[in-house]
Amino acid sequence: MAFSDFHGNAEVIRRLREMLAHQRFPQAVVLAGPTGSGKYTLALMLAKAMNCLSPPTTDGLPDFCGKCSNCLRIAQAEDLEARVAEAVEARENLRETDKKETRLFVQTHPDVLIIPPDPPQLMIKVDQVRRVIETIYYRPGDAKERVYIFTDSAFMKEAANSLLKVLEEPPDFATIFLLAENPGELLPTIRSRSMIVSLAALSVEELESYLVKHRPDWTAKQRALVARLAEGAVGRARSFDLAAYTAARAHALTILNSALRTADHSDLFKITETYRAGVEGREKTERLLRTLYSLLQDLTFLNSGTPDLVRNTDIHPDLKRLAEAADFAWITAAADRLAEVERGMRRNLLRSLSLDAFATAMER
Amino acid sequence: MPVEAIAATSTTTMEITVSKFELLRELTATQGVVERKTTIPILSNYLFEAAGDKLSLTATDLDLSLRTSCVAKVKKEGACTIPARKLHDYVKLLPDADITIKLLENHWVSIRCGRSNTKMVGMARSNFPSLPAFPTAGVVKIPAQVLRGMIAKTGFAIASEESRYTLNGALMVLKPESITMVATDGHRLAHIERGGEKFEGISGEMKTLVPKKAMDELKSLLDATDVEVIEFAKDESTLYFRIGSRLLTSRQLTGQFPNFEAVLPKDNNKSITLHGEELSQAISRVAQFADERSRAVRLKLEKGELKLSASSTETGESEDSLEIDYNGDTLTIGFNAQYIIDFLKAVGAGDVKLELKDPQSAGQLRPADVEEYKYRYIVMPMRI
Repeated sequence: MAFSDFHGNAEVIRRLREMLAHQRFPQAVVLAGPTGSGKYTLALMLAKAMNCLSPPTTDGLPDFCGKCSNCLRIAQAEDLEARVAEAVEARENLRETDKKETRLFVQTHPDVLIIPPDPPQLMIKVDQVRRVIETIYYRPGDAKERVYIFTDSAFMKEAANSLLKVLEEPPDFATIFLLAENPGELLPTIRSRSMIVSLAALSVEELESYLVKHRPDWTAKQRALVARLAEGAVGRARSFDLAAYTAARAHALTILNSALRTADHSDLFKITETYRAGVEGREKTERLLRTLYSLLQDLTFLNSGTPDLVRNTDIHPDLKRLAEAADFAWITAAADRLAEVERGMRRNLLRSLSLDAFATAMER
Repeated sequence: MPVEAIAATSTTTMEITVSKFELLRELTATQGVVERKTTIPILSNYLFEAAGDKLSLTATDLDLSLRTSCVAKVKKEGACTIPARKLHDYVKLLPDADITIKLLENHWVSIRCGRSNTKMVGMARSNFPSLPAFPTAGVVKIPAQVLRGMIAKTGFAIASEESRYTLNGALMVLKPESITMVATDGHRLAHIERGGEKFEGISGEMKTLVPKKAMDELKSLLDATDVEVIEFAKDESTLYFRIGSRLLTSRQLTGQFPNFEAVLPKDNNKSITLHGEELSQAISRVAQFADERSRAVRLKLEKGELKLSASSTETGESEDSLEIDYNGDTLTIGFNAQYIIDFLKAVGAGDVKLELKDPQSAGQLRPADVEEYKYRYIVMPMRI
């Protein structure tokens, strides 16, 4: 592993490495970019580069070896989901009284602390920030630089406020990374105290060439589709669940069909019935809603005479038929309505009924 | 790289026999460092290392680590890690006999004692943070009881506020012939100095900020030991305290301790002597009726009498008075009752001197009889 393994955003990476080379790396960095754009991967790479025991130089800029004990231990945190799952399990096994007061952390290297959002609320909590404050002023032991990585920008209000002080004047040997899909979600006072580095979306061509290397098991057609659907995010492209997406899209198409063309409800009800309560149902519903949005977008592209922007290229005929039935006013109304469904989900409305209501309300 | 791949490179054998009494003693001594409320594996495991005729065990919370050892029959040298809490709880329940600890495959550890047999799973040795080695140069010997007394008399004044991190520890100043310890939270300051010592290897002044966690741990280690002299050393990032066979290391805190000398009062000319116990009781009584948040009590110095009073709109008001030898002007000053009670607890029996200047200046408390320690306690006044 080295910086060259980071795909895309070469200019951003070069700038960050130059800052490392000149020892002018900012002490608080907001890494912004959509899901799967490589924020976490990049944060770990930078942590390694800061602490590598035998740092090589590539292209005249600092890199990391990936083999020394510091690099190896930091690398153990790469599979964040697995590490968080382990931590959640460890917490489950604690005594009842300790459970409540225990917060999640991932720390595979003594000087690199990763702060994931704490379930069940999935937000960064004040106790987690307190631990950062308690430990950050200790000098690093095995490393040169203490690194703190907040993997999510959803902070509890108190937590965000207590972070301000330490963000303002961290000790010389500490760097804080805040990963955010949308930096606007962070307090303005947090943003103003940090440097914002944005990872831009990659072009479809870049993603396709990346997938040729990393997903040789897919057909060229599948790769082309995924590259268009991944919205410019490498991570999302690489781990794209095509089967789940196709399933969700089939449902989305049925919903749109029933609204725009057939008005036959038996198919619709059969589908919406499967969107149940619970965590699994939530994921499934979110996927469906995202797919619905992307189909609506494609319909707009078709209607406005820019068919080359259409992402779901493989179902072009279906889309075309739908596009004939939908006009711009209908699409806007549908998007608004969909936003309402989304809001309803947050308020725990019944999923199947909300979807039914959406489809019937949009009938022509 | 997966965790297993790293584990494969570490040592894979260890077998020892150790007496339950010895093992339990060391396990108990290290419990303070083991974190309870954590999901990070390295923090909840012991590192066991067997070599020669010794078993060393290490616990760490990453900022603080404690290494201790006991005599053991080592059959196979090696190292392993064991979940700390469970091991301690389990060993406590074993009968007084020899315990055999053996490392199996995949970090499983077997513990046998008499007819009991248990297996626990640890983690890869290489995941345990490397421990700094005790420096060979610049080691200072400090009498254990002196250090213990000084921690007891200053530790309570350390700040627990998270925003004032340089106050989250006590400053220890070593000079060739004296040792000083200072702690403050910005509202009060405890300062203790002991001269007439001889510290070899110190030239000029050596200032060290000792973190609160390390102070607490050091105190309990000193309470439990009968060694006379401990060894202290430090390097760039770490502090080392060796107490007999136990070694406490702490990472250093960064930051500048405030210039405390500037706040030590110099011309507090109104001085009274009080019986510590009487004062403590009187303040405790009056403080029951103080404002719950500020805990403010009013001290009024008059000729021959010290009046203590407090009042709050919710609970009522209360007054106590003590007889004193005082002839100066009347003076009224407010203090946080808790701060004074803390000091009186630390100073123990005996008379104390209260020295004041005016209602706006800090008050100073110290033991009335001159001891080998120069102990003073400064409390900021409150407006009441």
